[in-house]
Amino acid sequence: MTQATMTARERVLRTLKGEKVTPVPCFSGVGNVTTKGLEKLGYRFADLHNNAQMMAEAAMTTWELFGYECVVIPFDLCMEAEALGCVMNPYAETQELLYPTIKEKSKLTTEQLRQAATPELLQRGRIPLVIEAARIVREKVGDQVAIGSYVLGPFTLGGQISELETLLKGSLKKPDDMIDYLDAMADVIVLVGNHLLRNGIDYISVREMGATSDVLSPRVFKKVIFPALKKVADNLASPNILHICGSVLPVIDMMAECGYSALSIDSKTPMKEAREKVGERTVILGNFNPFATLNTGTAEDAYNVAAQCVRDGVNGVHPGCDIWPTAKPENLEAMIRAVRETSV
Amino acid sequence: MALDSAKKSELLKKLEQGVVEFEDDEVRDAAQEWVDSGEDTYDAIFDGLVAGMEEVGRLFSAQEYFVPEMLMAADSLYIGLDILKPHMVARDSGVKGTVVIGTVQGDVHDIGKNIVKMMFDVAGFNVYDLGRDVALEDFLKKQLETNSDIVCLSAMMTTTMMGMPKVIEMIKEKNPNCRIMIGGAPITDDIVGKFGADATAKDASNALEEAVKMVVSLREIQKEANAKN
Repeated sequence: MTQATMTARERVLRTLKGEKVTPVPCFSGVGNVTTKGLEKLGYRFADLHNNAQMMAEAAMTTWELFGYECVVIPFDLCMEAEALGCVMNPYAETQELLYPTIKEKSKLTTEQLRQAATPELLQRGRIPLVIEAARIVREKVGDQVAIGSYVLGPFTLGGQISELETLLKGSLKKPDDMIDYLDAMADVIVLVGNHLLRNGIDYISVREMGATSDVLSPRVFKKVIFPALKKVADNLASPNILHICGSVLPVIDMMAECGYSALSIDSKTPMKEAREKVGERTVILGNFNPFATLNTGTAEDAYNVAAQCVRDGVNGVHPGCDIWPTAKPENLEAMIRAVRETSV
Repeated sequence: MALDSAKKSELLKKLEQGVVEFEDDEVRDAAQEWVDSGEDTYDAIFDGLVAGMEEVGRLFSAQEYFVPEMLMAADSLYIGLDILKPHMVARDSGVKGTVVIGTVQGDVHDIGKNIVKMMFDVAGFNVYDLGRDVALEDFLKKQLETNSDIVCLSAMMTTTMMGMPKVIEMIKEKNPNCRIMIGGAPITDDIVGKFGADATAKDASNALEEAVKMVVSLREIQKEANAKN
């Protein structure tokens, strides 16, 4: 099959296998629904999170409207935390467009996490709902486009379930306890991630933004974070992406050493230097700032930023975070056009 | 028993180093010894604890310290502050102000906000902390209730930052003299202007400096207004 006739799904999956795809795919491992997509459906953002049909329809709109090469579900960061007993706030009553957050933390201990890591967990919270949404998407898009999903990394999920401040201090004060806690968290993440990959999800991102080098020293990353991230990589089915935003240059060699199918970085990590550090063999996705590029900039800015990502050697043009719904349609179009028109 | 100058500088060093190295016991003992001497604790707070926190800020900027180190140092500082503050002789510095502070709705990240709050606590501001994920109109309510000089809004995410201009507009409409400071990872000087805020700061020490400046300028405005009446 020539590259010209490849489906978007193949372009993404081949990229994640380390094959060179030209032009590189333009897709995301994290949420992307636009106000335009929501308007087309007549849905409110706050209503998407608890309804598989609406979640599926909304997730497909960025592909349908703009040719963005993925469908990613869900949109929020609360799925695993809810399954672990936390309570989510969808902000259904507010006028502002807000991403759900955890309003009640279950504060499970290491022991409780180990007990929770059984197949029964997979029936809790919205995990079945997300799988149902994946089924609905697949029925509609077939093999045309890849369906992505994500789980939080061990430290970041820990921050949803417990007080982040306790975990941050624990990483210095009681590193051995933290290593044990994150090890238990890794089992939960592998369980949920593999379940998603077995049930209609084509690729999965592990989002460990809480452990960015803006927050934790490379020393703590190596000692406390790395073992759990490596455990996830060793046990999670492929294809998988490790995503950490912020400046991760000091730890990118360790990220690569974990062994994920690909790494995803954001605009605070310079691509050329990242590439120098990890070499050609690591698939790197990145690295534009979605808010500055798609929401506040002009279409021309968006075109230039995306083209620059390609010239800097990314294997896929990937946002550093969720695409915020108010992204300008003309900017999204310009970004996707730039990726198609730019070659290295 | 009064402290001689050698003992004083020894205790100040202990307080400062104790904060920098998060030696809680060191800080506790030194603070207690200072209090037991019966001396005013003003110097112990500012030349000991705060000097330590300034060093922590420097180490943070130099990327030798990260967030966990900052949090541990803040804990040590509060241990000392709880012991020393009740014994501080009040000073009429003319800059004591009232601050309402919180993280805006949709954002549950409050670590940065707590560090800034700590600096206000140290400096003797009256601080009303609304916590995190604060409904936008609650900032206005609290400002009106306390008639605070300053409102500080924090956001760690670009997306939740978008709630800030709404709060600023609500407050400025009711109380144009109220000064508004915004902070957090996505905030730049450019955004301060766009959102109609009065200031931001690159770290907690600078936030305190800005706040003091704001209160001084507010007091001048009030003085002028009173003179006209």
